[in-house]
Amino acid sequence: MEIDYQLERPLKLHARLFVNGLTVLLGESGSGKTSLLRAIAGLLHARGKPYGGLRPEYRRIGYLPQGYALVPHMTALENVALPLRGSDALRRAHYWLDRVGLDLKSKRRPHELSGGERQRIALARALAAEPRLLLLDEPTSALDATAREAAIDLIELIVSEENLPTLLVSHDPYIAARSDLLAVLENGAVRQQAPPHEVFSRPASLSIARMVGFTNIFPGKITASENGAVWIKTGDLTIFAPTESPIPKGAHVHWGIRPEEVMIVRPDRPLSAPLARNRLQARLSRLIKKGLIYVLKVSGAIDLEVLLPRHVQDRLQLHEGDLLELALKPAYIHLFSSG
Amino acid sequence: MSEAFALSFKLALITSLTLLVLGVPLAYTLVFKRFPAKPALEAALLMPLTLPPTVLGYYLLLLFAPDGALGRLGLKWAFKFEGIWLASVLFSLPFALTAYRESFQAVDVEVLEVTRTLGISAVRRWTHVIIPWIWPGLLSGTMLAFAHTLGEFGVVLMVGGNLPGETRVASIYIFDLVQAMEFEEATRASLIFVALSFLLILVVRTLETRWRSITSSNAR
Repeated sequence: MEIDYQLERPLKLHARLFVNGLTVLLGESGSGKTSLLRAIAGLLHARGKPYGGLRPEYRRIGYLPQGYALVPHMTALENVALPLRGSDALRRAHYWLDRVGLDLKSKRRPHELSGGERQRIALARALAAEPRLLLLDEPTSALDATAREAAIDLIELIVSEENLPTLLVSHDPYIAARSDLLAVLENGAVRQQAPPHEVFSRPASLSIARMVGFTNIFPGKITASENGAVWIKTGDLTIFAPTESPIPKGAHVHWGIRPEEVMIVRPDRPLSAPLARNRLQARLSRLIKKGLIYVLKVSGAIDLEVLLPRHVQDRLQLHEGDLLELALKPAYIHLFSSG
Repeated sequence: MSEAFALSFKLALITSLTLLVLGVPLAYTLVFKRFPAKPALEAALLMPLTLPPTVLGYYLLLLFAPDGALGRLGLKWAFKFEGIWLASVLFSLPFALTAYRESFQAVDVEVLEVTRTLGISAVRRWTHVIIPWIWPGLLSGTMLAFAHTLGEFGVVLMVGGNLPGETRVASIYIFDLVQAMEFEEATRASLIFVALSFLLILVVRTLETRWRSITSSNAR
């Protein structure tokens, strides 16, 4: 489904994107994500396709705002049955409650349910109305880590089972990584749309890179180029990187590598030929534990951030102050097309 | 005494029902609609809170006079039940309106918006969502207006005078008794008022507590 909406208020925004499966629109807070969803739902005046000019009642769009908007005086079942008419309304409401795993709590009112449960009720209610498009506004922002995981699992499952185009807006790169298709909203427009692995590995701009956790970015100058590859000089370091389009010698560029993709060379296991390039020595200046991931800050010719899963650190037994040999695999080097 | 109290109840009942019919759409408009004259309209409607009842009564008398604006339309309501009814409606409006407005303010606009995206009609939105949400507030506002009308004195005396069976309500009756130094009867009548006021306020407060426990449950 193609969405093309233009907003004038409360901010100027022109968003064009495809919604296919679970599509995440990533944007920082204040970028207009909520306004865009409200406009698509028909709650905010805007021009756009599809559904432009239709009243919200006739759009058949499921919309879940951040607060879930359950009716407080109604039970879970009554909330889900609210959009349903006819003699089998209650049966269908039970069906949808069951789909989100909450049929046992059908008699509870919203204030007797947890945040995650309220969200699932709201999801069941939206689905019960048989929407053609589902809009989710930061569905995980109010949830703790476990509930967040469960919420996105459920959303993913239902969206694929129902084959329902879903647009989820979020500022959370973790949610973005779980999407089928990822769009990035920046300065009032969608700047990049691609499968998440592509946005994460090849962000279209430096600011998108920052949004998706692409922390190692450096300015450099092209010192040589041959077909399909360039050499970039940053400080005393020269990096070899493949490129899709030729870049003239002497050009100033930005290049980077994701912290997950910096490799630590084990002294006992020499690396294969392609990795013989882009080697550097660096000292481990800080070792930070983040759950099951270790964040390494290393400094050498350049300062890098490296992410290590726990099992790798358990094997390597690194300590602050250690001298490391790092390899930046050319295929993982990303050249930014613009500053 | 029973005649005066019966008249007071009749006046309070009709007045509070009028306020329910009139005040709910007014409160809805004041909470959910935006228009330039809103602050001025609100101020005008709430003015009886500070206006001396005699002033309100005086202007109504002028309007009801045969050559007054309302009198010329045939509404020669001075010293009539209809006159004290209109006076009571205006005088108790701020009490009802404030309570109704509070109930509407507790309604989460986002919930109403989402019901629209769910394809729910305006009628169903009112009957299934809004009214069940705000009814304790509506009831407590209406009862407050009832209690307030029951206890009215100045504006009724100005507009209605003191005609037994027509405009002599219980509060004026007590005033008459005291003037006539019939303290025994005045004590009895006053005690009825004390009991009534206590009961009504108790019910209103209970309703408000219940209502808050429902509306505050919309925690996110």
